[in-house]
Amino acid sequence: MSFIPGQPVSAVVQRIEIHKLYEGDNLILGFSIGGGIDQDPTQNPFSEDKTDKGIYVTRVSKGGPAEVAGLRLGDKIMQVNGWDMTMVTHDQARKKLTKKNEDVVRLLVTRKSLEETVRQSMMQH
Amino acid sequence: MEEYDVPSAASILASVKEQEARFERLTRALEEERRNVSLQLERGSLPSDRLVGGTTGGSKQPLAWQQMVMQEQSPSNQTSLAMMQEPQEVVEETVTIEEDPGTPTSHVSVVTSDDGTTRRTETKDNVTNMKVTKVVKTITRRTFKPVILTQSKPSTPAPPSTPTPSETKPVTKMVKTVTTRTVRQVPLGPDGLPLPEGSSPLGSYTDSIDRRYMKNGERFITPQATSTLTRSYNNYSDSYNDTPDSQFRHYALHDGYGDVPDNYGSLSRGVNYRPYRPYMPTGGYRPENSYTLPIRKDDYGHVAQPQVPMGSSTVDLNRSQPERFQPEPYGLEDDRRSLGPDDEEPYDLEPDYSTANRRTLPGRTIREPLRNGPRMRGYEDPIEAELIDERHPYIHGMYPAPLAQPERGSLASLDRMGGRRSPSIDSIRKDPRWRDPDLPEVIAMLGHPIDPVKSNAAAYLQHLCYENDKIKKDVRQLKGIPVLVGLLDHPKAEVHRKACGALRNISYGKDHDNKVAIKSCDGIPALIRLLRKTSDMEVRELITGTLWNLSSYEPLKMVIINHGLQTMTNEVIIPHSGWEQEPNEDSKPRDAEWTTVFKNTSGCLRNVSSDGAEARRRLRECEGLVDALLHALQSAVGKKDMDNKSVENCVCIMRNLSYHVHKEVPGAEKFLDPSALQGPGSAGTQRKKNDDAGCFGGKKAKEEWFNQGRKNGEHDKNYDTLDLPKRTEPTKGFELLYQPEVVRLYLSLLTESQNYNTLEAAAGALQNLSAGQWTWSNYIRATVRKEKGLPILVELLRSDSDKVVRAVAIALRNLSIDRRNKDLIGSYAMRDLVSNLPSGQQRPAKNLEEDTVVAILNTIHEIITDSSENARSLITAQAIDKLVAINRTSQSARETKAASHVLQTVWSYKDLRNGLTKDGWNKTHFQPIAAGTPKGSKSCKPGYDDTTLPLMEKNQGNRVCSGGDLIPMDELGPDGYSTIDQRDKDSKYKSSDGSSDLQEREPLKNDTNRKHYIRSNRPTVSLVDACDVKPQPVDSWV
Repeated sequence: MSFIPGQPVSAVVQRIEIHKLYEGDNLILGFSIGGGIDQDPTQNPFSEDKTDKGIYVTRVSKGGPAEVAGLRLGDKIMQVNGWDMTMVTHDQARKKLTKKNEDVVRLLVTRKSLEETVRQSMMQH
Repeated sequence: MEEYDVPSAASILASVKEQEARFERLTRALEEERRNVSLQLERGSLPSDRLVGGTTGGSKQPLAWQQMVMQEQSPSNQTSLAMMQEPQEVVEETVTIEEDPGTPTSHVSVVTSDDGTTRRTETKDNVTNMKVTKVVKTITRRTFKPVILTQSKPSTPAPPSTPTPSETKPVTKMVKTVTTRTVRQVPLGPDGLPLPEGSSPLGSYTDSIDRRYMKNGERFITPQATSTLTRSYNNYSDSYNDTPDSQFRHYALHDGYGDVPDNYGSLSRGVNYRPYRPYMPTGGYRPENSYTLPIRKDDYGHVAQPQVPMGSSTVDLNRSQPERFQPEPYGLEDDRRSLGPDDEEPYDLEPDYSTANRRTLPGRTIREPLRNGPRMRGYEDPIEAELIDERHPYIHGMYPAPLAQPERGSLASLDRMGGRRSPSIDSIRKDPRWRDPDLPEVIAMLGHPIDPVKSNAAAYLQHLCYENDKIKKDVRQLKGIPVLVGLLDHPKAEVHRKACGALRNISYGKDHDNKVAIKSCDGIPALIRLLRKTSDMEVRELITGTLWNLSSYEPLKMVIINHGLQTMTNEVIIPHSGWEQEPNEDSKPRDAEWTTVFKNTSGCLRNVSSDGAEARRRLRECEGLVDALLHALQSAVGKKDMDNKSVENCVCIMRNLSYHVHKEVPGAEKFLDPSALQGPGSAGTQRKKNDDAGCFGGKKAKEEWFNQGRKNGEHDKNYDTLDLPKRTEPTKGFELLYQPEVVRLYLSLLTESQNYNTLEAAAGALQNLSAGQWTWSNYIRATVRKEKGLPILVELLRSDSDKVVRAVAIALRNLSIDRRNKDLIGSYAMRDLVSNLPSGQQRPAKNLEEDTVVAILNTIHEIITDSSENARSLITAQAIDKLVAINRTSQSARETKAASHVLQTVWSYKDLRNGLTKDGWNKTHFQPIAAGTPKGSKSCKPGYDDTTLPLMEKNQGNRVCSGGDLIPMDELGPDGYSTIDQRDKDSKYKSSDGSSDLQEREPLKNDTNRKHYIRSNRPTVSLVDACDVKPQPVDSWV
């Protein structure tokens, strides 16, 4: 399936590029994710809509690669390296993020403030 | 595709644009068409009249029309299509004539006849029509169908119009049914409608149509369709006229259907309305599942799994699963809604088009993609309300009228075509004259000469059958199944795809007659044939899903094996497992791909693998199967991806194939352990000593755990030494099943998997392999110990899952045939075994099933037999209380009996009696409760052989053969693995017992980490994988 990375959502989405860090043998990104279509969305503290089963950033380790790259707590991850993250299981998301052979991940994330902006601009329309 | 391609929003956008472009072209084409039509109408007015008049006349006319068409539109090869349309145009004219009841001859029935016997049917129709009050428009179209047929099918004789007598017969039948039903129009709708579109003169136009059809195939009506429909109508009324824009929008809304609305209109629309129709119980409606855009499927699988318990007990869940398979994009929104917000389905729906469409709507734009889920809902609700309002009128008032089903799309399209527009579209929509085809009509349409009609009919059938056992039965009784099976060999992908989808739904359910019906018309070979032939993933998923469904019925298992085993293995299992028969050096070993196809196929094999010795033999000997399954599992372990259904299926197959290997495998006799002849129980010690003499010198160092735990050194020298047979050539095929190497695989699964079924199956595999008296089981038992499998198993005794505990308990029992294992298990597992026993009044922390309790008791018995040391630790574990309580108060005769055996054995150790008396026990406590309870009496027999034999053998008789639908689970395990009982969530972990265990057992401490791991959903091990202990909101560090 072909896709044009992020095109339609570019207005609301922020691109974040995280360079993974070696920690021992492991490549880490320095944040944790929650959510996924196999998870109970009502327990997601970050989503506005409690039926949203998207992948959210639940923790960001201080000074870690993610924080450096600008990822924030509560961000919703839309894509990882072009892969859609809005309808995936938790594990699928995790796997996409932790591919051993990739030391850079490019995320498209959205957060309330971004959406807010868009909404306003739309209203002006 | 292991993962799934989620169409990104971007891709959606792109596709939307593409569609837009296409639509524009279409609108242009439409315009042109209109012009043509008006021309033709002028010419064609005569013919239309004739048609109405008589059968023969009607038949000839189409020819005339064709000629005309040819002249005008000749350029494209698609002439046939063009012709088709023209007639329709004519039809529209007739529409004006409309309400003459008598005049319109054709019926739905005609359509159904398919054979091309069109004319005849029409005449008959006339008769029938007389009865029907409102037939009009659709009917006229029908008359033209014949033409279409001929053209669309090149193979059909050029003069299709002349009906052969044979053909007519079926037709007549059809007619009869029709008459009873009074419903004519609907069926017509679909046929006639498609034609008009195709008729556009422009070559490009036709092309696009074709493509569109394909799309339909893929996803019928996207969920949105309903919502969009309403909206589109609105557009219609406003700007209906030809602003290309408005039309375009309309199309877009319909999704794939877009242009086709006319043709397929009735079908698709019908679908949308379904919920309100009498056919469908609302529950039955969840076609959604079907949405399955191919892309999504993977997700699907994942999603679906958690919901589908293996046991058939929970009807809803189970049901939903199979149906989930359906890739059909049928999705009715309504249905989906009925599912409730929790359902995952909305997500699935979301995928491409829906969002895309939405995005195209002005004003919605960018934001949508961001919050698909929520957004959607907001969307739908209002729409739904709208729809309901509209529908109500017919539902209540009009419904009785046969024709009541509204066909919105088609009407609108008609108007368009005719260049005439009704003033109020709404009113048209509410026109009660339109309705969905009824079941016989749909089935008849399966034989319609026009492929899209066939495929739509099949798709519609699939939809109708969804969760509706009544309809499935009706389809069967109406002989629809053979027709569907026949369509499997249809060359057109969309046709066999839809037919397969329908079969999958039909094959699902408790009604085995449906499965048998599929089998009796050679559906299984047909499915296999198609599997071999097609490379379309979606079709393959459907085929394998159907096979999976079929495989749940015992009598079909062997049939599936006979026809499909090697094909499924070669086409699916091997390629998707990543295993290569002859790996060349440059190629990296591939990982397994957990595709839906693989999941379905492995599920099917899992079911058939439980059919008995012959089935097992066939599977074992199926070339490459065992190798591929093992490879897949190894790759799962390597990737730490072991919680999915495919893995579960694979492990279950492996377990089933491991059952009775020592008896069933060719050449097994050579490996029989001579000491076995002495009788397992008594011979244990000596045998072990013999076996153990050998060469694993350095073992002990590795086994600190065990060394520390050893209470006495008597076996120091002997234990753990075992000669593994030297291998001259790499093992392959079924021999892999019982090579000691597999132990590590199963242990990894037991350590890492969170899936109870997988855990159970892995434990069951060890149980099977360690049963029996042959050389390999000796190796296996020793290997489990050497690989430190015992603590892993003991750990799992604390599992929340009843069946896991049971499988593990039985495995431990079999493992304890090995003397050294018996000592270790006695020392380290006793406490956990005992803590699983119910304690008298207060029914245990875990409410384990009878089977499990009995299994544990039998294991305890095995452990303390010939080992006073173990009996002593049993006493130390405070087991006597519990045993006595079970013996006296249990409601279960089997539990009582088993407990009684244990007690007798304990009492038989004279050196323990002293201590027991001090604790206040006396002989009577250890005797079977003779009088009084009838249950006790049986247990008096001292020689209860259960205890001495490996459980496996004994329980063979117990095997449950059932398998409800889609319960891939198989009984194979010696113990009838039954449904899961997860009531006991609070379980033992909390008990003080557990924690004290840890402290007391030094050696076990190492494993505490793992314990947490098991308890929480995820490992706390390393940053990379760690996560919250709280089960629900799972976090993963990445």
